[in-house]
Amino acid sequence: METQVLSSAVLAIDSKAQLRDKTDRLTVTIPVEALFTFLSKLNTDSSLAFDMLCAHTAIDWIAEQRFEMVYELYSTTHSHAMRVTTSVPRENTVVPSVSSLWRIAEWQEREVYDMFGILYENHPDLRRVLLDDGWQGFPLRKDYKDDYLLERPE
Amino acid sequence: MGLVTEKLPIFLEPVPGGSVLLASMDKLINWARLNSLWPLTFGTSCCAIEVMMATGAPKHDIARFGAEVARPSPRQADVLVIAGTIVKRMAPTLRTLYEQMAEPRYVIATGSCAISGGPFVYGSYSTVRGADEIIPVDVYVPGCPPRPEGYFYGLLTLQKMIREGETLRHPGVRRKPVLAELPPGITMEDIRRDLVHLLEKEARVDLREAENATAESTERLLRSGNSSSLIRSTRD
Repeated sequence: METQVLSSAVLAIDSKAQLRDKTDRLTVTIPVEALFTFLSKLNTDSSLAFDMLCAHTAIDWIAEQRFEMVYELYSTTHSHAMRVTTSVPRENTVVPSVSSLWRIAEWQEREVYDMFGILYENHPDLRRVLLDDGWQGFPLRKDYKDDYLLERPE
Repeated sequence: MGLVTEKLPIFLEPVPGGSVLLASMDKLINWARLNSLWPLTFGTSCCAIEVMMATGAPKHDIARFGAEVARPSPRQADVLVIAGTIVKRMAPTLRTLYEQMAEPRYVIATGSCAISGGPFVYGSYSTVRGADEIIPVDVYVPGCPPRPEGYFYGLLTLQKMIREGETLRHPGVRRKPVLAELPPGITMEDIRRDLVHLLEKEARVDLREAENATAESTERLLRSGNSSSLIRSTRD
C-alpha cells in the first residue's frame, strides 16, 4: 500500500489517532485506552494485515514523567511497515498486553517489564526474562540506582 | 601427566643426583606444555571475532604457535581465552568452566572488557569489571579489540611464563614476566606528571629556541667533521 493511502486508512480506524511528522516511517500516536482495539484492527483488517510485531520497547521521558511505548509493525503480505506509540504516566505504568494478537509480544513485553517495570494487563506469564528473579528495581529507568553501579567521575 | 608431575618428585628426591634429574624433567615438561596450548574459546562479544577467528584464519595462522586446536570443552583445554564482556549472569558459568579445566590451567584476558570492564565500567548495572574478579588471570592483552598480533604477543608471553615458570616441586606457583603493579618508589602521580611534561614539551614549538638549537647542532656537526678529518689525518 502507498504511504499516503496507508496513513489515511490507519487514521480512519480511530479518530483519536494522531499522525506524527518528521519520522522515517508512518508513525501514529494513540491514547493508551484506545491502544488495544486500535492494534487489533491493524492486525485483523485484511487490507492492512500487520501480522508481525518486529519490536516493542519503551522510552523513559523522565522530564515529562511518562513512558512512551513503541510498537514496530510490519505486514508480510503487503510489505508495509508502521510504528504505533502511546504514553503512560510514570506513577501508573499499566498497558494492555498485545500477546493475544502477536505471540512474540509475550517475550518482548517480559523484557520491557524487566528493564522498565511496565505492567501488562492480561499477560499470561509476566516474569523477568534477562535479569535474575530476585533483582530489585528496573535498570533502564533513568533514575535507577544500586550499590554496584558506578557513576562517571567529573 | 598426573603420575609424572605428582609422584616423580617423591621417587627422585632421595636418589643421589635426583634433584638434577628433576630440574631437567621440569624443562622437558614445560617445553611440552608450552608448545601445545589448546585454547578454550570463551567468546562473549566482538573480541571473539578478532581474536578467535582472525587468528585462526590463514592470514595470521595461530597454528604456527601450536595453539590452533580450539576446544569447545573445558576438559580438553589448557588455556582459557576470555574474549569479550563478562556480565553478572555469565560470571558463574565462567567460574565453572575454569574449575572444569585440568591443571595446569592458564587464562588470557583479551580486550578492554575482559581486563577492566572497558567502556562499560561506568553506569552499567550488569558488567563485571574485569575477568580477574572471578578467576585468576595470567596474561592481559589490551585493545578494543586487540590486533591478532597483540594476541600472539600475549600467547608468546604466556609461553615464556610457562618456560620459566612452574616446577615439579612447586606446582601452581608461577613467575609472571608481566608487571602486575608499579615498580617500588614510583607512584601514579609521577607517571602522570612526566606524561603532562612530555606532552607540553612536544606540543609547543619556540622558533627562536629551535633556531638556536639547530645552530648549535650545525656548529657541533661542523666541529665533528673537522675532528674526524683530523683523526683521518693522524691515522694517515
